Amino acid sequence: MSKAILFSIGSVATWAALVFLFLFVRDAILLFGKRVSSITPASVASKGIGTVVLFFIGVVWTTPFSKEGIKLPIFWYVMPWSAWIGVALVAFAIWRLCRSMSSIQSAERMKDFQAAAIALVCAFGMGWLYKQDPDNKIDILQGGIPLSMSVIGFVAALFVLSMISIAWGYNSVRGRGVTKTVATQIALIIGSVVFGLPFVFLLITSFKEDRDMSAKSGIIWVPRVTETVPYVNPDPTKKHYVGDFNGRQVEAISVGMENGKMKMDIFRPLSVRGITFYTTRDQLREVPIDAKVYTAVVDGEQIKGFEKESLEDGRKILQIMEPEDKKGKEVTLLGEKTDPVRHIGLRTQNYTEAIQYLPIETANGLVYLKNTLILVIMGVIGTILSCSIVAYSFSRLKFPGKDKMFNILLATMMLPGAVTMLPQFLIYRSLGWVDTLYPLWVPAFFGSAFNIFLLRQFFSQIPMELEDAAKIDGCSYLKTFWNIMLPQIKPALAVIAVGTFLGAWNNFMGPLIYINSPEHMPISYALQLFKGDRDGDNEPGLLMAFTSMTVVPVVAVFFFAQKYFIEGVTLSGFGGR
Amino acid sequence: MSKKRFLCLLACLLTALAFAQTDPGAPKAKREVVLWGLALGPETKGQDAVIREFERRNPDVKVKLLSMGAGRMDPQKLMTSIVGNVAPDVINQDRFTISDWASRGAFRPLDDLIARDKDHDPLCPTPQQYYPAPWREASYEGKVYAIPTSSDNRILYWNKKIFREEGDKLRAAGLDPERAPRTWSELLAYSKVLTKFDSQGRLVRAGFMPNFGNSWLYMYAFQNNANFLSADGRTCTMNTPEAREALDYIVKGYDIVGGYEKAKSFETGFQGKENDCFIVGQVVMKIDGDWVLNALSRYAPDLELQGSPAPVPDDRYNHRGRFANEKDTFVTWMGGFSLAIPKGAKNPEDGWKLIKFMTSFEGRLIENRAQAAWERMRGRLFLPRQIANIEANETSVKLFKPANPNYAEAIEMHTSMARFGRIRPATFAGQILWSEHVKAMEAACYKKASSEQALKDAQTTVQRDLDAFYNKSHYPVIDLRAPAFLGVLALLGFVGYFIWQFATAKIGRIERHEAKWAYLFVSPWVFGFLLLTIGPMIASLFFSFTQWDVLNEARWVGLKNYQDMFGADWKAVSRALSNVAYLTGVGVPLGLSTGLAIALLLNTASKGIRFYRTFFYMPSIVPVIASAVLWTWVLTADPGKGLINSYWVDTITKWLGVQPPGWLQSAEWSKPALIIQGVWGAGGGMVLWLAGLKGVPTSLYEAASIDGANGNRQFWSITFPQLSPIIFFNLITGFIGAMQEFDRVYVMRPSLDGPIGPDDSLLTPAFHLFNNGFAYFKMGYASALAWLIFVLVMVVTYIQWKLKDRWVHTEVDA
Repeated sequence: MSKAILFSIGSVATWAALVFLFLFVRDAILLFGKRVSSITPASVASKGIGTVVLFFIGVVWTTPFSKEGIKLPIFWYVMPWSAWIGVALVAFAIWRLCRSMSSIQSAERMKDFQAAAIALVCAFGMGWLYKQDPDNKIDILQGGIPLSMSVIGFVAALFVLSMISIAWGYNSVRGRGVTKTVATQIALIIGSVVFGLPFVFLLITSFKEDRDMSAKSGIIWVPRVTETVPYVNPDPTKKHYVGDFNGRQVEAISVGMENGKMKMDIFRPLSVRGITFYTTRDQLREVPIDAKVYTAVVDGEQIKGFEKESLEDGRKILQIMEPEDKKGKEVTLLGEKTDPVRHIGLRTQNYTEAIQYLPIETANGLVYLKNTLILVIMGVIGTILSCSIVAYSFSRLKFPGKDKMFNILLATMMLPGAVTMLPQFLIYRSLGWVDTLYPLWVPAFFGSAFNIFLLRQFFSQIPMELEDAAKIDGCSYLKTFWNIMLPQIKPALAVIAVGTFLGAWNNFMGPLIYINSPEHMPISYALQLFKGDRDGDNEPGLLMAFTSMTVVPVVAVFFFAQKYFIEGVTLSGFGGR
Repeated sequence: MSKKRFLCLLACLLTALAFAQTDPGAPKAKREVVLWGLALGPETKGQDAVIREFERRNPDVKVKLLSMGAGRMDPQKLMTSIVGNVAPDVINQDRFTISDWASRGAFRPLDDLIARDKDHDPLCPTPQQYYPAPWREASYEGKVYAIPTSSDNRILYWNKKIFREEGDKLRAAGLDPERAPRTWSELLAYSKVLTKFDSQGRLVRAGFMPNFGNSWLYMYAFQNNANFLSADGRTCTMNTPEAREALDYIVKGYDIVGGYEKAKSFETGFQGKENDCFIVGQVVMKIDGDWVLNALSRYAPDLELQGSPAPVPDDRYNHRGRFANEKDTFVTWMGGFSLAIPKGAKNPEDGWKLIKFMTSFEGRLIENRAQAAWERMRGRLFLPRQIANIEANETSVKLFKPANPNYAEAIEMHTSMARFGRIRPATFAGQILWSEHVKAMEAACYKKASSEQALKDAQTTVQRDLDAFYNKSHYPVIDLRAPAFLGVLALLGFVGYFIWQFATAKIGRIERHEAKWAYLFVSPWVFGFLLLTIGPMIASLFFSFTQWDVLNEARWVGLKNYQDMFGADWKAVSRALSNVAYLTGVGVPLGLSTGLAIALLLNTASKGIRFYRTFFYMPSIVPVIASAVLWTWVLTADPGKGLINSYWVDTITKWLGVQPPGWLQSAEWSKPALIIQGVWGAGGGMVLWLAGLKGVPTSLYEAASIDGANGNRQFWSITFPQLSPIIFFNLITGFIGAMQEFDRVYVMRPSLDGPIGPDDSLLTPAFHLFNNGFAYFKMGYASALAWLIFVLVMVVTYIQWKLKDRWVHTEVDA
């Protein structure tokens, strides 16, 4: 145990030494470069000495040099959460104690002291909890980051990037000092990479072939596609035809002749697959198959050929394309002896196949979009109309019981929706609204407490004079509201519209409860069903393509109405969703 | 973009969509049969063929297929549609749940149809055509509710090649490398020899993992003659010596491979396709069903696999002791699917026609023939799956016998075991019996409870449901119309009182005129409040004292639902609440501080703030479901697939030797996974912080720096108090959000049935409410849960409100 603790101290020392080294170099440069009053040779020297001492401690206790190269030591304590909180509380107490020592005012000193005492008591509580924990063992993991080329390259790339961003924002460096600016920029760059990576991952995965979805060597970031050549199979039972089925272009194979007509079996698009129909030869157009190209070694010679046919036992018949002298010949090879020829490219078929897969009733998914748009548009109209008129009444008109009503409204703001979910289902059921879109947008026309509250604040800020003038002119209340008051709060309405848009687009539990048939399904629920069908190894590229397609419209709206999105968050006080 | 152009575009889009109604090619005026629960996919050619053939023979009928969660039919979806009077006509349903549905009156008995058709329709199914076990499983209390389709059974698969390679070691241990183990003790002995660890004690090869593949506790219980239910179906007998022995055996089996935890983390490293664990020899023996053969044959046609009957208890094999009079030496667990007609189906007549055709000998062969042709066209082997119809099964096994002897023998083994199938008890509590048995098994394997304790807990939960069902008659039936009428009357009275108050109020004419308009204007909210808020709340309070499943009459049970909540169901409820505590205690602060950290960084960087802001904000507007789907993929445990784990392996594993976590697949890491996904959307909060930071008066900072306060001090003494109202507000909404967390969990949980997340680690109160309400339609209990949520939210909000004055800074006193 004690050795492990020494190791952790040593690793901390090593990292501290690196920081000191950085400070030393910076100050040394500044010392010779220009005059900065706070930097003296003595302070630079003290940093240098600090660096050496800390490195020495690190080297002695962590032995970073070995045959495999240099390792920057790291460690981690594996312990129960009670121990973690206890340690954090002790650290907090120590910090507060130090602060109370340095404090000038006695009142503040007392406050800090109290905080430290409370933290210590809590820490003891945590210690007790820790003792009660049946598996309260503490493991210290020791290891190190090897200084390999990739690590050095990563650090260097970060450095260069931050330099670029500093050069770009040169003005800002002056006022703040280099260290802070560099640190901020590095943190921002790392942050945006971390936040942006899942997006990139989504997009790239949606263009990958199935075989690239998982790889032993880690994530494949460059999508590749298998090379194909068009090939018309002379065997009539294997020929692919394009024909017309009920006004729809389909790909089919011939499965026999009946009464002089060809019996065709559709295999694409997926939504009508399996349907057979009869047609004549002249109605059909022969289309080549996309035959995959493979390389293999035959009799010690490298050949390249396309797949004519694959056999049940996993063997493939290749027709040789290269070398020239064997061109046109056929070889039969075991599947694992062949390598597909692939080049960098995007598999856009993921998108078309994902759409083709959708049920026939949904007209290539457009019905999903339509349903979501109905929800969004009706939701936005309903919310804006009802909330604004109710808010107008609450803020500008006088009527008996107004305060009581408004208090009730405020009380319902925090009401969890779960409470009313079941009886609401029964109400809609008795109206015969199950499997329709009504339960999902009609409630919007009854206003929502939060939005009414928000709009009331806005109405209250409008000066009374406007309304009074209208009243004198004999304007009715409805007209005053519509022509004079409503235009005043347009920005707030836009914010609410954006919020409602997101809410309606995201609504999932509603469709899950109420919607059954694809004709009435919105996108959010369709996506979940799609996921259920193509999970795991079952063509995940299609799922990612469909997911991308549901994300794109929202992102597009975001770019058009960015201002309102960001204002909305500020106004409503909600941190995102 | 100008407003006009935007509107124009919108109008065009809408017109286009209005035309996007339905497929123009589909002729109308056909009778529709809606069929749920069959997966559609590139590999379901046979199923398509049989349905299209049915349509060809019945030209006036159109079959509408809907997968609805493919095969593992989501019970909630089905129940909601039956209760909502929009049920499908035919449903493909896992057979063991049939009695559950039948008992609730959700399915239509088929006896009358069978009796009517059996003499003149050759397609009509009769019990003689089927293996006994599947047919029995599809019946409930003497009535037939469904017709079985598939019939999978489980056998032991073992890798002959590894047995041969390790032959010397096996022989040294007194075991024969030429044959499979036959008894439980033999199985463990083989496993012990074949299991390999590396120098650091990590599992490299598992000889046998009892629940890897598909065996669960049921398999071992059947072999040990344990029944989870008494013969009359009224008592749950999970906690018997036989069942305990079976569970102990599972635990023992896992001990050999280093414990359940280790085995699970070993499993997270498994890959798919040609790197399947059985193909590459990471697992030497497993008990599994015939569904695995297809993939194995596709990716490893020359795998030296052999199928043998699953080993049985030693006494059973030797016909000793309890098993002295036992006829069957080897038994297996049989499951599979069946087709049923839900109650309230709009077109049961055509639905029945479809069922008859699909389950008939002819239909099954059409399906297999088409599938075989499809596989052949794609150059793949076709392996026939087990069918419940005896004639169809034996014919198709003969007809489609694969050339590869290993696979052919495995299929034959399955076929010969079909007559020794055991089924899960046909009870209405099948679903809960299943999920409780999974929980008990996990608890025992994780060594969180002794096998006795685990089984006892499960038994109590199941017994509660059994009692509730059989003791129903103890409680008086109530007519819900009367209270509903009273409720409406009360609401009308309330409105009337208001009007009367207004009518008699002493106010002037002008004020009266204004008030009239005002009432008109607030009426949308008032009606919404009465009909959608307060009315439902009162109704739900009333329901919480009843037991009601909507389809049958309601009964008044008093406080029983509340007692159950803190008694029989307390385990699940407390689990849900502790999950909420975790999500609020760790997730909310983490989300808030991430947002704050980004905002602080952005606040210091004066250049590029708009660019970065957009970047960090974007994730928060990605639709929740899309984000959850994406993150399920990002958090995949397999390091070759999951974004996070692939980098984890490259860094943390290399540096510290820590294996990557199983994220959503493991009980410890599933909540952190959810939190990480949430933190990705923390950019929404960042904007809020940014606005808050900009709102802090600079004079405060100036004054502070004159007083000599450093940056750290300034943050805690000025910035933080100034931002405290935002923190306060987000703490409250964060808690309410965690209580109602649903969408993400629904999408991200690893399995659709059983516990919500491994070991219920993702169960939230809203999810528990949803499951009880819409999957089981326990209106009474679900309403009680709703009120628990309501009271908790109110109490916590109130407490936070009271504490607010102590730390939330509301005024600037500089």
